[in-house]
Amino acid sequence: MLAERLADALGADAVKTAPEDLAVYAFDAYSESRLPAAVVLPTSARDVAAIVRLARACGEPIVARGAGTGLCGGAIPAAGGVVVSFARMNRLLELDPRNRRARVQPGLINLDLSKKVAGAGLFYAPDPSSQKACTIGGNIGTNAGGPHCLTYGTTVNHVLALELVDDTGEVYTTSLDDAGYDLTGALVGSEGTLGIVTSAWVRLLRLPEATRVWVATFGDVEAASEAVSAIVGHGIVPTALEMMDGLMIRTVEAAFHSGFPVDAEALLLIENAGFEDDMDDCERAIEKICKANGGLTWRTARSQAERDGLWAARKGAFGAAGRIAPNTYLQDVVVPRTKLPKMLKLVDEAAAAHDLTIGNVFHAGDGNLHPLIMYDKRDKRQVAAVVDAGDQILSAAVDLGGTISGEHGIGFEKRDTLARIFDDADIDTMLRLRDVFDTGRRFNPDKIFPRGASCAELRP
Amino acid sequence: MSETIERLAPASAEELAALLASCDRDRRAVSVDGAGTLRGIGLPAQAGDLHVSTAKLKAMLAHEHADLTASVQCGMSLRAFSDALAAYDQFVPLDAPLRKKATVGGTLAAGWGGPRRHLFGRTRDYVIGSRIALADGTLANAGGMVVKNVTGYDMSKLYVGSCGTLGVLVSVNLKTLPAPKASRGFHHPLPLDSRPRAFAQLQSMTATPAAAFWIEGFAKEFGGHDGDDGRLFVLMQGSDAFLDRATRDLRSGLGKAGVPETHVVDAGANEAFERLCDAYVATVDERSITYRSAGDPSDVEGRALAMRALARRFELRADSICDVMNGDAILRVSDPDARGFTAKIEIFDDALHDDVPDAQVIAGDFAGRSNLNVWGAPPAAIDKMRALKLRFDPNGTLNPGRFVGGI
Ligand SMILES: Cc1cc2nc3c(=O)[nH]c(=O)nc-3n(C[C@H](O)[C@H](O)[C@H](O)COP(=O)(O)OP(=O)(O)OC[C@H]3O[C@@H](n4cnc5c(N)ncnc54)[C@H](O)[C@@H]3O)c2cc1C
Repeated sequence: MLAERLADALGADAVKTAPEDLAVYAFDAYSESRLPAAVVLPTSARDVAAIVRLARACGEPIVARGAGTGLCGGAIPAAGGVVVSFARMNRLLELDPRNRRARVQPGLINLDLSKKVAGAGLFYAPDPSSQKACTIGGNIGTNAGGPHCLTYGTTVNHVLALELVDDTGEVYTTSLDDAGYDLTGALVGSEGTLGIVTSAWVRLLRLPEATRVWVATFGDVEAASEAVSAIVGHGIVPTALEMMDGLMIRTVEAAFHSGFPVDAEALLLIENAGFEDDMDDCERAIEKICKANGGLTWRTARSQAERDGLWAARKGAFGAAGRIAPNTYLQDVVVPRTKLPKMLKLVDEAAAAHDLTIGNVFHAGDGNLHPLIMYDKRDKRQVAAVVDAGDQILSAAVDLGGTISGEHGIGFEKRDTLARIFDDADIDTMLRLRDVFDTGRRFNPDKIFPRGASCAELRP
Repeated sequence: MSETIERLAPASAEELAALLASCDRDRRAVSVDGAGTLRGIGLPAQAGDLHVSTAKLKAMLAHEHADLTASVQCGMSLRAFSDALAAYDQFVPLDAPLRKKATVGGTLAAGWGGPRRHLFGRTRDYVIGSRIALADGTLANAGGMVVKNVTGYDMSKLYVGSCGTLGVLVSVNLKTLPAPKASRGFHHPLPLDSRPRAFAQLQSMTATPAAAFWIEGFAKEFGGHDGDDGRLFVLMQGSDAFLDRATRDLRSGLGKAGVPETHVVDAGANEAFERLCDAYVATVDERSITYRSAGDPSDVEGRALAMRALARRFELRADSICDVMNGDAILRVSDPDARGFTAKIEIFDDALHDDVPDAQVIAGDFAGRSNLNVWGAPPAAIDKMRALKLRFDPNGTLNPGRFVGGI
């Protein structure tokens, strides 16, 4: 039996098979669940290599798992199989302040990395709203974004080198400094389907000299999104440019009391970080554009505490939605930034057509929307309506020249919609890549690719 | 340079794809080039190859200036592309040599990493989508026209830097940036022993330079006068307020390092930067080879010095550029005497790779280039790379033998 062989190799303490333990790993932040056959907690790349070899010998699939905050079912187990949890590989291994980089284990929590390197005047830029819980390994799996990725770029822009275990149980490395193909870039965002990351060198940035955070309010989301398009269209790319609609403002304010104006129907939370000398000009320019696009009020956060409060509220928005609905479904789509006003109207239409409430709090500067659909899963009509509305939003984004995921990933959730973006030839290139790294489809099967997408079926 | 028998420049993606498919069927090797400005990277094409150029695929397909995105055919020159963007005060920091000729596709396929990447990110980070023609004639898309996208694997990452060995890039979608408002260039001759402190100052400045170089030689290509220890060229870019601040900080920082003199240029700063980018691939007839070693900024000075010292030991002329911010050391070795050069270069190449294993050849029309270790030490994941090549181009049709490890 696989579990026994794993326990022999890694020690009994590293392997969980009790039903109550397995139940914990049956979920991530997506709505479905499936039980694994075993959960393993490695402490080294060698352990991971042993797990892969044993699982392979037993013909069992392998699913890597960080914190399980993924929203597309990327970390839920395949039918049975082994879940590899990185909870015990969560250390910062090396810090190289002069070259501004760090080597980390995959289980290190995103925010902990920034906290650990702050003393050296550095930070790790990608900051998903889930950063208090999610791990660097999971972020690499999904190529996670976050509010500050507008200027800093997403996870892939910050990964310099990887150590991985391949499908035969060999440990190997890739690096941006190596000659040859950019395997590092292709592996980031592959959702655990091409190999298991056992450590990574990541890029760190210097803490900015000056940071300003502003809140601009608007009469409706259309006006706010016109302002977003105008800011970007004027050649201003602030560090973060987030939008919240009236429903979410009131929800967040009730939970966090950070001073968001509850009578506003839309707001922009804007941050610019950089040089003190540029701040006044930047503030004046953005404020002017907001006013010209129907901005009602303008507020500058006066202190670090005030700025932190605003961000804590923004990043806690999805959690706060639990106060107003028993269940929520978070959609993730991207449109070209000038299409935001149109897209928000279509989100409204989807809500009306399905008699649902949808809140919006999202990365507006990137054109990355997160419509949050409220429902009660005990109500069958609502459940069906959520699925339809979610799909309508997806189609609307595609029709506007956008895409079906900006940062959460395809995973289990969107595998059958991949073909709305890519045709068979496009998907076939991805499968060629997969063939090289995961010949036997052992790593996270059932994810990303449409049901039935195998090379044989796609190729003539 | 090797002779190629036939040259073709297809006028559409479909024509290009059909051509590749027919060569693939006939087992005929195809060498792919943009304008050939980076032909010094990798091994030369084989005689008898069909030579395919992207020269006729040079249209701007879309510039969604309000979205800060553009879609461009790969044969468009960097100059034409950047002029089109500049009309809307936008740019993409491609920073490759010879922009007037160099193509967008060639620059990306070669994986060129420009000197402003520490500030703006790598070239590949700007590629949000691509269309590629594979050896079997398939045309496939990757990514899209949005700036954030995790829909499936990001295949463009593989195509950038693949030197045309996986497929031929037909068009790419790029994200653009607002152009810096102004630029200022600073030329400093370096007095003896000031270099280490100058490097440390430059690397730690809050008002980060857009680019900073230590140069020795390259007088013909870049001009300027060496101090005892060569010279510095620093490029600052940003708002006027930023430039004022950067100027003050740079003077005081370099002053502390013992570098007093400053020759400042506003008009011409960007041109000087371009000249320096050009120097990376400037050759001395057929008697020079230029190497690039990419590594940590913290040890770039040591690497650059070691490379120069070795050239001296072999009595080769050394011209060098050191990218202080990114850690690239560029060394061009040449010899006024062609015979002398031919006699020395192979042993020099061996000796260099003993000291600096990762050094890659990036320029030099020297006929014996095939005998040099042009890619440096093979990457750790070379087996995976070979497997990838086999999966994309099983007959070895595209640029055979020119890439890393004989791929
Ligand atoms: C409240 C909330 C807010 C969120 N906000 C954001 C946001 O702003 N931006 C954003 O991008 N996402 C956001 N997310 C989604 C989620 O947090 C990210 O996708 C995150 O990257 C997942 O990290 P994790 O450690 O939880 O990984 P998991 O969910 O455990 O795994 C994610 C994927 O990575 C793979 N994986 C994990 N570890 C490894 C490894 N070592 N090697 C290979 N593959 C591995 C898994 O197999 C899976 O496919 C949010 C989620 C929640 C619940």
